[in-house]
Amino acid sequence: MRNRNATAYRFLTPYLLIFAIFWVWPIISSFIISFQATRTVPWRFAPSFNWGRLIGDPAFFNALKNTLLILVIQVPVMIALAMVMAVLLNSPLLKARGLYRFAFFAPVVVGEVAYSAVFRLMFSLDFGIVNKLLNSIGLPKIDWFSNVTPAMALIMIAVTWRWAGYNAIILLAGMQSIPEDVYEAATLDRVSKLKQFFYITLPLLKPVIVFCLVLSIIGTMQLFTEPFLITERGGPGGGTETLGLLLYRQGFRSLNFGYASAVAYTMAGLAIAITLLQLWLTREKQ
Amino acid sequence: MATVTLSNVVKRFGAFTVVHGASMDIKDGEFVVFVGPSGCGKSTLLRMVAGLEDISGGDIAIGGKLVNDVEPAERGIAMVFQSYALYPHMSVEQNLSFGLRMTGNPKADTDRRVKRAAEILRISELMERRPKKLSGGQRQRVAIGRAIVREPQVFLFDEPLSNLDAELRVQMRVEISRLHKELGATMIYVTHDQTEAMTLADRIVVLRAGHIEQIGRPLDLYDNPDNLFVAGFVGSPKMNFIKAHIVGQDARGVVVELAGQDNARIVQPLTDVTPEVGSKVIVGVRPEHFGGAGEGDTDLVVAIDVIEHLGGTSFLYARTKNGEDVVIQRDAAKVPTTSEITVSIRKSYLFDEKGLRLR
Repeated sequence: MRNRNATAYRFLTPYLLIFAIFWVWPIISSFIISFQATRTVPWRFAPSFNWGRLIGDPAFFNALKNTLLILVIQVPVMIALAMVMAVLLNSPLLKARGLYRFAFFAPVVVGEVAYSAVFRLMFSLDFGIVNKLLNSIGLPKIDWFSNVTPAMALIMIAVTWRWAGYNAIILLAGMQSIPEDVYEAATLDRVSKLKQFFYITLPLLKPVIVFCLVLSIIGTMQLFTEPFLITERGGPGGGTETLGLLLYRQGFRSLNFGYASAVAYTMAGLAIAITLLQLWLTREKQ
Repeated sequence: MATVTLSNVVKRFGAFTVVHGASMDIKDGEFVVFVGPSGCGKSTLLRMVAGLEDISGGDIAIGGKLVNDVEPAERGIAMVFQSYALYPHMSVEQNLSFGLRMTGNPKADTDRRVKRAAEILRISELMERRPKKLSGGQRQRVAIGRAIVREPQVFLFDEPLSNLDAELRVQMRVEISRLHKELGATMIYVTHDQTEAMTLADRIVVLRAGHIEQIGRPLDLYDNPDNLFVAGFVGSPKMNFIKAHIVGQDARGVVVELAGQDNARIVQPLTDVTPEVGSKVIVGVRPEHFGGAGEGDTDLVVAIDVIEHLGGTSFLYARTKNGEDVVIQRDAAKVPTTSEITVSIRKSYLFDEKGLRLR
């Protein structure tokens, strides 16, 4: 048995080496760096330098507020929308189901830069289709990029467009794993379709919904692409700057690796804490 | 309680017909079993009665009322599924009461019905448990309990014992029989297991490839099958079939000579038909209808391959000189010790080449 294990580990060695160098070491290294003042040469150990700054940094709290705002509004809306899409996709009345599934999943495989460019064009003040549509129904144009609230809304719309279909496919898979005869039994029990959804589908989908929520929470905590590309590096005036963007700005524009590492660990810690809270709240009660 | 009437019921999936004009009258309080091999259409027929499948033709009436276009919930039926179909996230009590609660049934009445069902099925101590904490037999009881609380006119069972082990099956079979006596309700039960059908049914409906082959009381089907399929399907081990041909007629009936046997002839009294001399027929012999040498119409020499000892009874798996497989039932005390024995045919059935019974 020991020989067999040794052989297995020898086969795994190339992967483990790469894993250790490019995954484990950066995690450890950035943790160490977060306790160092990295804007001096040479770097020096100063535990309160980055962590102390974090506590009092308005830019950090702005990014944290923006990230949490997106988390609290966009994630539930997206999951609810994904649920509606999954229900529609699961309908026996739907024709060309495969086509719809592909269409809903397609945004995930579209290049981020391409989709961001399209969103910028669609929401453009003067020639974007969204404002034209608003105008056509008698509503005023919205300057999506110059005001904070519309910009935040734009980020949420974009993220929802990109990920709702992906979550819908996961929820659909969960729905299809619920045995049909449970619904037949409920039908014979005179339970309406609506009540079947709330009393059977939703409770049985809970583990899948939690999975989607956890994935979305982690994704939102790391949100970078949309505020970077669509609202131009967290604009207007940092109004859509997220923790991911703050990290990038500190690490790769200001080359302040210590502070960026502290932000990174804060993001990871928050994601873990929120996920654990989520799992605790939705745990199965005995 | 109610009657169930099927008149020329047809089910098609596209161009494929799975039930070809099934007709039957099920009496009030009767226990009818649909039996047949996989794919014969028995579950489809049951699901059409339930309203879970649309019918492509014909009529279904429950309690004298045409229900072709009536919603499943309004048909006054309750169904027990093969996979139990319990709500996994609900306790036993919630499983039993769910339908009643959702339809706004008064709580006191719901509690009374749930309590009664739990008592009938002896599951009162399991009420707080979730289905995953129950054994297969307990789950099946809960599934039956869910049907009982609905107080339906007709109970439908779709292979309810298929997922249970052999011992539990026998136990649950007895329980379902007891339940039928206790409730006196009309029950339709689907199974592929002819033993279940024989032990439970007032009447059995034998289906094959969407056709009703025969309807009758269990022993009528056993003693008086209409065709080769029913003869072979009902009874375990199944009836033996030996090729033969008609060689003549005497005062007692037609004389049949078994193929590949030296002058092995039996006489079958026939009243309805007189087959032509020389026509090919099949002789059916149940394993218990083989006697010792000289006890019946004719003797056969068979070579024994395997002997199954079941305690009081043994089954001899043998071959005739013609190479046809036969199964012979013997008392354990009379199991032969030689590899070749002579047996006689004490009782037999005659079928024509198409498999129809000659009477």
